[in-house]
Amino acid sequence: MKSKFFVFICIFVLISSGFCFANGQKETSADQVTLKYIYWGSPAEDAAVKQALSDFEAANPTIKVEPMYLPGDLDGSTYNAKMKALAVSNTLPDVGYFRPEEFGNYAENDYFLKLDDLMARDGMGESYLSQTWLKIKGNTYGAYTAAECQVMWYNKKVLEEAGIPIPPTDYKNAWTWDEFVSVLKKITVDSKGKHPGDATFNAKDIVRYGVSYDLWSAMYYPSVWSNGGDIIGADGKTVYIDKPETIEAFQNLADLMNVHHVMPRMSGGTNISPLTMLANNQLGFYVTGQWTLLDLGGMKDFDYGVAALPIMKKPAQIYVSGVNVVFKATKHPEEAWALQKWMMDPSKTLDLYTSGLWMPTKKSYYTDEKDLAKWLNNDVHPQGFKEAVVDSMAVAINEPIKIRNINQIWGDYLNAAVESIWIGEKTAKEALTEVAEKVRKSGLLQGSY
Amino acid sequence: MAHSKLGFNEKRQTFWGWILISPLCLGLTLWVAFPMGLSFFTSLAKWDMLSKAQFVGFKNYISIFTEDELFLKSIRNTLYFTFLSVPLQMITALAGALLLNSQVKGKRVFRTIFYLPSLIPLVVSSVMWLWLFNNQYGLINYFLHSFGINRIQWIDSKEMVIPSLTIMNVWNIGNVIIIFLAGLQGIPNDLMEAVDIDGGTYWHKFRYVMLPLLSPIILYNMIVNMIKCLQLFVEPYIMTNGGPVNSSLSFVLHIYNNAFKYGKMGTANAMAWVLFILTMGISLLIFKTSTLWTYYEGDK
Repeated sequence: MKSKFFVFICIFVLISSGFCFANGQKETSADQVTLKYIYWGSPAEDAAVKQALSDFEAANPTIKVEPMYLPGDLDGSTYNAKMKALAVSNTLPDVGYFRPEEFGNYAENDYFLKLDDLMARDGMGESYLSQTWLKIKGNTYGAYTAAECQVMWYNKKVLEEAGIPIPPTDYKNAWTWDEFVSVLKKITVDSKGKHPGDATFNAKDIVRYGVSYDLWSAMYYPSVWSNGGDIIGADGKTVYIDKPETIEAFQNLADLMNVHHVMPRMSGGTNISPLTMLANNQLGFYVTGQWTLLDLGGMKDFDYGVAALPIMKKPAQIYVSGVNVVFKATKHPEEAWALQKWMMDPSKTLDLYTSGLWMPTKKSYYTDEKDLAKWLNNDVHPQGFKEAVVDSMAVAINEPIKIRNINQIWGDYLNAAVESIWIGEKTAKEALTEVAEKVRKSGLLQGSY
Repeated sequence: MAHSKLGFNEKRQTFWGWILISPLCLGLTLWVAFPMGLSFFTSLAKWDMLSKAQFVGFKNYISIFTEDELFLKSIRNTLYFTFLSVPLQMITALAGALLLNSQVKGKRVFRTIFYLPSLIPLVVSSVMWLWLFNNQYGLINYFLHSFGINRIQWIDSKEMVIPSLTIMNVWNIGNVIIIFLAGLQGIPNDLMEAVDIDGGTYWHKFRYVMLPLLSPIILYNMIVNMIKCLQLFVEPYIMTNGGPVNSSLSFVLHIYNNAFKYGKMGTANAMAWVLFILTMGISLLIFKTSTLWTYYEGDK
């Protein structure tokens, strides 16, 4: 009887594994190839990417692309979790976005296709911005999806009402920090019409704020760099977070909330989207990622402008983006590479650039007047965008994604320290000196990839 | 032991018995026993799910207690939430059930209102409460403000974040109320009448009839809710990401971060086992002490 039971189990297992096989062998026709493309983003980004993918299908009739869309989360933890599950279960897609902070780890563990030969064959390397290609130990494993950076939007109507002149757009001659703060005070107003600094100003009853900064790691760097500070050195071993320049930069940002009362306090995802506040005339300026232009451009009857980032000591900018990779597990490396190239080529996917979602990674789209006009001359990109944003890429530094354990250093140590500054519990000096020691002792500073 | 003693019929019965429960056995092995075993094994290893696992013995267990200050903090947060939530939930739910059990007008409307939150997916209600708790434009602060009360930093302050999550949790007690209500309706009417005849008040009925007869149900609800509270995850994950300054970092969120954000599967699994033992310990404690205050009909 025991053996009968065993036979039964065997049959059950065989049948169920048969189902698995049947599922795996869907692709029948030999010349038809199906690729999976994975990505995150806002619903507007989803639509834009889907359009680019179906254009690719139209141009390559033998290739079908299945989009795998994951709604965007700011710190990418959902996307990372999904990716890890796919990697462990051997079901990674063919091409797609990849979280930059995990790039080194996966590249080192051989999950990506090496691109150098393909790039050399197709003459890709030279025509793209050198920062675009992501190398680990001399080999190229991915490319930044786009050139993206920090920008400062403003609401024209709010500025006019507060009597603020048009802000500078030249990134080299932007407002100094003090000038910026004084402008913000003029914009910020409580329900009785008083501004910060007035005798009866009520900081608990503000109806319009001067500015909102996005508060997450990549968005701190431009301010910190602008003040001559840094967070962790590119070597992945030196901690600069307690450098006086870094401390001052963080304190300046915190003072916007706690001392000057010109910025709404926020932590986590608890506030109404600043983009909505900006459009509702509840906000003068919004400092955020350049990709928000896609959503901004979609808002009807809203007059927005762009200004150069305020300067603490020198102009600074960050080159930040998702990564695009071809997964090594792909059964169709040639087709996958073709799709990757397509997504990187502004002449094929111009919508992604004219809509404001991305900035090109191809050199000529910065240097050639004709190519520049192709993506900048439209209703979405406000006047001054070239001087304030595109030109500022000249001083952009890549987000330091190759530092080992950088995700955990932020998660276990830096985020909480920085939050305690934002809520005014500690000064930047206290919080950052304390956390710097902890990071140094944590054993997480293991160099870079 | 020789098993040829079974007669043909009994043999056939046993055979079919095995056949019929085999899907369950298979399911338990595949989806419970195997993952638990795997989880225990990985808790003894250093494994980022990408490279090969390295056996490290009990190092993960030691390091979470000695090196990870967030581990203890997350346990503290979770216990604080649990000990605040469970009693509040019990009291509110019992009060709600008493209301529904009485001859109040519009009972059906109340029933719907109380149960409705349980039908909303937690992610959705989290987003909804995110708006309610918003310190600038949230509905709650809007009301407080219109009565001249200063805005409260609900989930934006370290002190208020856990109480805020508790409020949200207490709002979502439809299921508990239903179970209490079923218990209340199972109480024989003659016992109530006996109290009436003796000249007792509603309080007497509650104290000497309902409460003792409900005690096994209270025990059940308490344990189930306690386990639920110890596994707090969705609310802090969606609403605060553990902030501000880690004061809403729940134990399970910390496990999740370690597993999927930092690629420390081994550490995460070790923590999961600690949670398992902690949950079992508290449950046992409640069970053991429950003999003092629960009453089962028919017991001596």
